Amino acid sequence: MAAAAQAAQLAVGDAYLAARAQQGYLDAYELLVQRHSPMAYRVALRLTGNHHDAQDVAQEALIAAWENLARFRAESSFSTWLYRIVTRRALNKISRGRAASSLDMLPDVADPAAEPATQTERNLAVDAVTDALLALPFPQRAVVVLHHFEGLSYAEIASVTGSTEPAVRSHLFRARRALGMKLEEWR
Amino acid sequence: MSGPVNDPPPGSPSDRQLLGAATMPCGADVDLLLEQVADGRSADRGSHQQRCVHCQAALSEFTALWAPVAELAAAPVPAPPGLAAAVMSQIRQLVHDIWYTLEITDSGTIRIAARIVAALARDCARMIPGVRVAFGRSTQGTIAALAEKATLGHRHPHAAVGVLGRTAVVDLAVAVTYDDPAHQVARDIQRQVIATLRDQVGLQSVKVNVTVDDILDDDER
Repeated sequence: MAAAAQAAQLAVGDAYLAARAQQGYLDAYELLVQRHSPMAYRVALRLTGNHHDAQDVAQEALIAAWENLARFRAESSFSTWLYRIVTRRALNKISRGRAASSLDMLPDVADPAAEPATQTERNLAVDAVTDALLALPFPQRAVVVLHHFEGLSYAEIASVTGSTEPAVRSHLFRARRALGMKLEEWR
Repeated sequence: MSGPVNDPPPGSPSDRQLLGAATMPCGADVDLLLEQVADGRSADRGSHQQRCVHCQAALSEFTALWAPVAELAAAPVPAPPGLAAAVMSQIRQLVHDIWYTLEITDSGTIRIAARIVAALARDCARMIPGVRVAFGRSTQGTIAALAEKATLGHRHPHAAVGVLGRTAVVDLAVAVTYDDPAHQVARDIQRQVIATLRDQVGLQSVKVNVTVDDILDDDER
């Protein structure tokens, strides 16, 4: 019965939870935090390239979202709104802090079926991608992360970044070419 | 893009050559080819691409080039353990907590945080048949202000500002199942929550406000 009750809470939509959280039900916001904190950390990590900064950004973003919950309108989804806050916080972190450099905290991509030599080569390739990603200007890095890593549409990214769909696409074109050039150097 | 079949290129172009050009020898846009690969659509080839060796070579090159990016994107990134708990802990510190007093004597005071009372009430409500979702709040806004005002004038040495006294007020927002009469479920919640708070916490005077704000089908769960 307890498990069923828990499952029912988890299955309820973000819009419902956000509305309850706006009414002061902190436990509704807690469910949103549990649901979206992995995304907040993941995006922050890809944008900052640093575990500690990513943890700070994710934490600050989730607290800022709660503090500004009254401003949240159901015009966009809660996740889109949170993507926006995380992206802005990551930009602030990078702008005011040290450059993203500590890449060793990014998880290696492990394939249990791969031979050790192949696995090493794969991890080197993944490190090369990470380097190339962090070398991109922030707006380009953001659209790559949001589109190719998070699967957001151009319209959603435009909403997150306060931009337009053509601008998002243009950033993506440039970013992909720049990434491709970097990866070509690595090969 | 539906022109004649192209002659095979003299050699496979390097990625650098491809990425340095705006268009392929056949006129195809390089950015669109790279986009096609990056979006995982390299196999979705139109009639031109099915016949054009330039496009086919570029798609193959870009697929190999983009593979590590796709691999990194697909790699799971586990959140640090305790991240959600740390966030909620900070938020709870920001919330002005209020307290219910269970007992005040010269030996000391027994108090309980209103949010604990709300959590107990919520968990109790979730177990009641017909309830799909329940959330509890400790009437933080108005009641907290009233409590602070009320306790300022005649504060007991062991009491504190923000103590509400012996009457607990809990708001519950619930969504019920389609088949259960909402008013009956709400009454069951009130009855059960009051009994639970009396038995588990010792609160003798409890007011439970139930708001049924949604009715959910099984498939909406």
